[in-house]
Amino acid sequence: MIGKASPPAANPLRRTLRAIRDLASRLPQRHQSLTVIVGMAFVTAILPLVVLAPPLNGFGRQNDWLDGFANAGVFVLLAMGLNVVVGLAGLLDLGYAAFFAIGAYTYAYGASPFSGLDVPFWPMLLVGAAVAMVFGLLLGAPTLRLRGDYLAIVTLGFGEIVPVVFLNADTYTRGTNGISGVYQPVLPIVGNFGFGNPMPYYLTMAAIIAVAMILLYRLQDSRLGRAWMAIREDELAAASMGINTVTTKLLAFAIGASTSGLGGVFYASKLSVVSPDQFGFVISFTVLAMVVLGGMGNIWGVAVGAFVIYELQSQGLKQLNSFFGGLGLPPFHLGPLTVDLTSINFLEYQFLLYGLALVGMMLLRPEGLFPSRRRRAELRDEADAGAANEELVQA
Amino acid sequence: MDFGLLLQQTINALTIGAIYALIALGYTMVYGIIELINFAHGDVFMTGSFVTMWLLTTLGFQGTIKDPLTLAGVLALAFLVAMTVMGAVGVIIERFAYRPLRNAPRLAPLITAIGVSFILQNIVQSIWGPSPVSVPQIIDVQASFRVGGTPIRFLSIFIIVLAIALMVALQLFVGRTRLGRAMRSTAIDREAAQLMGVDINTTIALTFFIGSALAGAAGVVQGLYLGNTVFTAGFQAGLKAFTAAVLGGIGNTTGAALGGFVIGFIEVGSTYLGYTRWSEAVVFTILILVLVFRPTGLLGQQLAERA
Amino acid sequence: MRLLKLGAVATTAALVFTACSSSPTPAPSGGGGGGGGSVQEVKIGVDLPLSGGELPNGGPTLNGVKLAVQQISVPGYHVTVEAEDDAVNGVHDPTQGSKNISTLVNDPAVFAVVGPFNSNVAQAEIPVSNAAGLIQCSPANTNPGLTKGADGAALRKTNPTKIAYVRVATTDDIQGQAGADIAYNVVGAKTAYVVDDTETYGKGLADVFDSSFKALGGTIVAHDGAGKNVTDYTSLLTAAAAKNPQYVYFGGVTSTGGGLLRKQMVAQGMGNIPFGGGDGISDGSAATASSFLNLAGPQGDLNTYSTVAAIHDIPNPDAFKAAYKAAFSTDPGSYSASAYACTQIFLDALKAVGSNREAVRAFVTTTAHKYDTVLGSISFDANGDTSQHIISYYKFDPTTKDWAFFKQKDFGTAG
Repeated sequence: MIGKASPPAANPLRRTLRAIRDLASRLPQRHQSLTVIVGMAFVTAILPLVVLAPPLNGFGRQNDWLDGFANAGVFVLLAMGLNVVVGLAGLLDLGYAAFFAIGAYTYAYGASPFSGLDVPFWPMLLVGAAVAMVFGLLLGAPTLRLRGDYLAIVTLGFGEIVPVVFLNADTYTRGTNGISGVYQPVLPIVGNFGFGNPMPYYLTMAAIIAVAMILLYRLQDSRLGRAWMAIREDELAAASMGINTVTTKLLAFAIGASTSGLGGVFYASKLSVVSPDQFGFVISFTVLAMVVLGGMGNIWGVAVGAFVIYELQSQGLKQLNSFFGGLGLPPFHLGPLTVDLTSINFLEYQFLLYGLALVGMMLLRPEGLFPSRRRRAELRDEADAGAANEELVQA
Repeated sequence: MDFGLLLQQTINALTIGAIYALIALGYTMVYGIIELINFAHGDVFMTGSFVTMWLLTTLGFQGTIKDPLTLAGVLALAFLVAMTVMGAVGVIIERFAYRPLRNAPRLAPLITAIGVSFILQNIVQSIWGPSPVSVPQIIDVQASFRVGGTPIRFLSIFIIVLAIALMVALQLFVGRTRLGRAMRSTAIDREAAQLMGVDINTTIALTFFIGSALAGAAGVVQGLYLGNTVFTAGFQAGLKAFTAAVLGGIGNTTGAALGGFVIGFIEVGSTYLGYTRWSEAVVFTILILVLVFRPTGLLGQQLAERA
Repeated sequence: MRLLKLGAVATTAALVFTACSSSPTPAPSGGGGGGGGSVQEVKIGVDLPLSGGELPNGGPTLNGVKLAVQQISVPGYHVTVEAEDDAVNGVHDPTQGSKNISTLVNDPAVFAVVGPFNSNVAQAEIPVSNAAGLIQCSPANTNPGLTKGADGAALRKTNPTKIAYVRVATTDDIQGQAGADIAYNVVGAKTAYVVDDTETYGKGLADVFDSSFKALGGTIVAHDGAGKNVTDYTSLLTAAAAKNPQYVYFGGVTSTGGGLLRKQMVAQGMGNIPFGGGDGISDGSAATASSFLNLAGPQGDLNTYSTVAAIHDIPNPDAFKAAYKAAFSTDPGSYSASAYACTQIFLDALKAVGSNREAVRAFVTTTAHKYDTVLGSISFDANGDTSQHIISYYKFDPTTKDWAFFKQKDFGTAG
């Protein structure tokens, strides 16, 4: 109701942004899949060219960028999956990395010298997603009846347990050493995905994201999607409207988990090693920050948010490092622990920035950078809604 | 001999349990009054241990203080400073991060709490660095007396007694004083309390102050006991303390204290049985099982469930 | 100038020792080289943890590389150092390592890479450098699985015959033996208690200590694992104390609990039990903030032993130390000389075969080649492991408040 009528914007920039947002949201739902395909194809085609232009070409070669983009894609996938749980269904999952780990280990079992198996990558994508989904159901079935904040803590506990199990069940997981030498994907015609050549990974990731995005959009607009949002906004009301809240929440959980598993399979195949220490709370937290900052409930917003945040943390902060590093001043001139400007690592402040962004976002713009309209309406409390209405009236 | 070992491990469990219990009280009080899992609470505890470290090193203490009078004075000062500073930090966090979101959907303050947790960690990290740092152990860590040949450390006894004293004081405060009554009534029905003349904002701020001050006390205790702290110490301790609060029945202060000791026994028990590698997994599995099968905890919630 | 003297001394020493070996290295040409003609810009890549709590490990190691590059000039080339940091939020990170090595692979000026420091980072990097044929030399990796057996083979799957990873540090299977040797033969302990930090390096080392100590005839009273989240070792130690161990061995690094463990042993009245660990706790004097000795505290550092998986009696230690101090105003770290040696080997190769990556890789990994390095004469076996199996033994010295070297032992071709 707030979004439909465009209030006169204070400045042209805001007006343009609003116009773009409206345009994007008005794309006919019938053609949504097509829009995603065209959009992803466009982005996929243009990104490798963009990084050739200054100043980006100064920060790294095209291959470095594509390698980073493929890594970022993993987080885009994770964020889109968590968005189903947090953004659409309104359940706080703080152990999301556990499903990522399960997906990654599933692939490592299916295709590594450790198990002796060599199942091709493509079916393993589905297997990884399915296994993660099963674990999502196993965890969700007993716990989703709990109140929302209890669920947060249960998932947090689960996220802590899973790496401990991978670490200590060393007969089955090779413990702390992890499983190394995990096979890389093979395409029927193109052949092996090499380490030095990130392009196949980049394209594969783009395709996976496109497919996941289409499926998620379709889910969101389905009966199930509407049920998720109904639960998010008022669980009691949703239940009294005849929605089976437990099953509906369970499905959100399972779909989120399977998307995470998908990301895990890709991650394992690209890094070629899985070990328990790669899947800690930091991953869960980073993905949550991406979802919140991107705009809970908005699929493409979350995807863009994840991509931007990943690139900022892996490239942006690094550029600050090399900027100050470039100023010269050899370190260690004042004793081994005196840190001079050269050795300040801005990457270290990544989590401080996340923390500030989360708090600031919740206080000032809880709907995220790219809000979903319905979510925005919900997250703004009455006072804000009133103010917005006043704005409308004055117009 | 086996009895001696059992006795020693019991003391160990009670000592570490006392630390968890002190942290758990803050979780349970805050949850009781505004139904928020204050994820930043573990980091308040961690920050408290750093404040202690900073205070003691600034005062020039490096090791054991021999003179009992000086020791008592320095200890009192350490607790006073850490509890006041952390209490104030708690109030500030509530004022700026949680109060504006009091009427927002529940997800919002929960996410803010996680953000605050990371902010605290990173502030501490940028001041004192990411490596573990030594905390001066001003109480002689080795001094002990013997029970049937088994050495029992004074330090452990001091920690257990202190924790229990703080808990009793808290019970008396909540149960017997006017402010305590305000807290209880706010927890039961915020609006009704307001109508009865309770200043809601002050009461909630007070709750944060007390809870955070107790976490600060736990920080001092941790420093004295382990002689060491690190900026990530709050996460695991906080998670375990929260488990303790849930185990005891969230919102229930007696339950939180009991839960803390139970977690201490579970941890030490898994070591005793030779499963140290699994102790984390055991604690969190218990958390999940309790939440699934007995979400009201061992002693049950004292709060009315608000829809 | 000091550099040339050092190089010359090392070369002479090596020539004396290996008089009849077919050293392919031409004697360093006197003078600063690189006089006329076109000078080619080439880079030595470095991947180390360079921030947070691991800076004390990575920083001095990087300095070793820098010192070598400053001191040794190769005619026709201008060599610079391109350093990447694999620590994220203060902790070494395999994903970051993988990305760093890819970045270095994609930089055509990089002809060789020194690093990484940590074994789990190496697991993610070796497949990348192997596929690219870019030679990597680790100054500090000690996990046996990186090169040996089926694990090693799995990591270099792309080009199984073209080894692209060598290391000058001796592997943990030997360092663990050395730890057991200290416990059993130096200290004379017959029973030992082992704690590991559940991480790749720590558990690997502790497991070897465990089996070697038993092989020597000792008894392991218990072997526990406590990850880096564990801060309270009290109950572990109470349980261990009841079993009266004569020695306590810690497999892990300072940041995962080494210092705490030792400190809490004192609190438990176990302070007089000798304590040992690997190079993970050999990280500077008690004056160094957050070092093992610093955290273990005023009483906790007595009777403590550590090993470093590298030669201590380098052919000319004073010259190296002086040169390092002149350049960086501090004493070298445990792996500064190792990093210097890696760089020396690369510069030898550059001198001999030019900057072509494959040529450098093939040259360095030729098992017959011997290199006269600051560590003495080194060659690599078919897996890329160093032929030098020397472990240095250190004991805490209460007067200097620092580790004091007391012995080095050559474990020969064993392992």
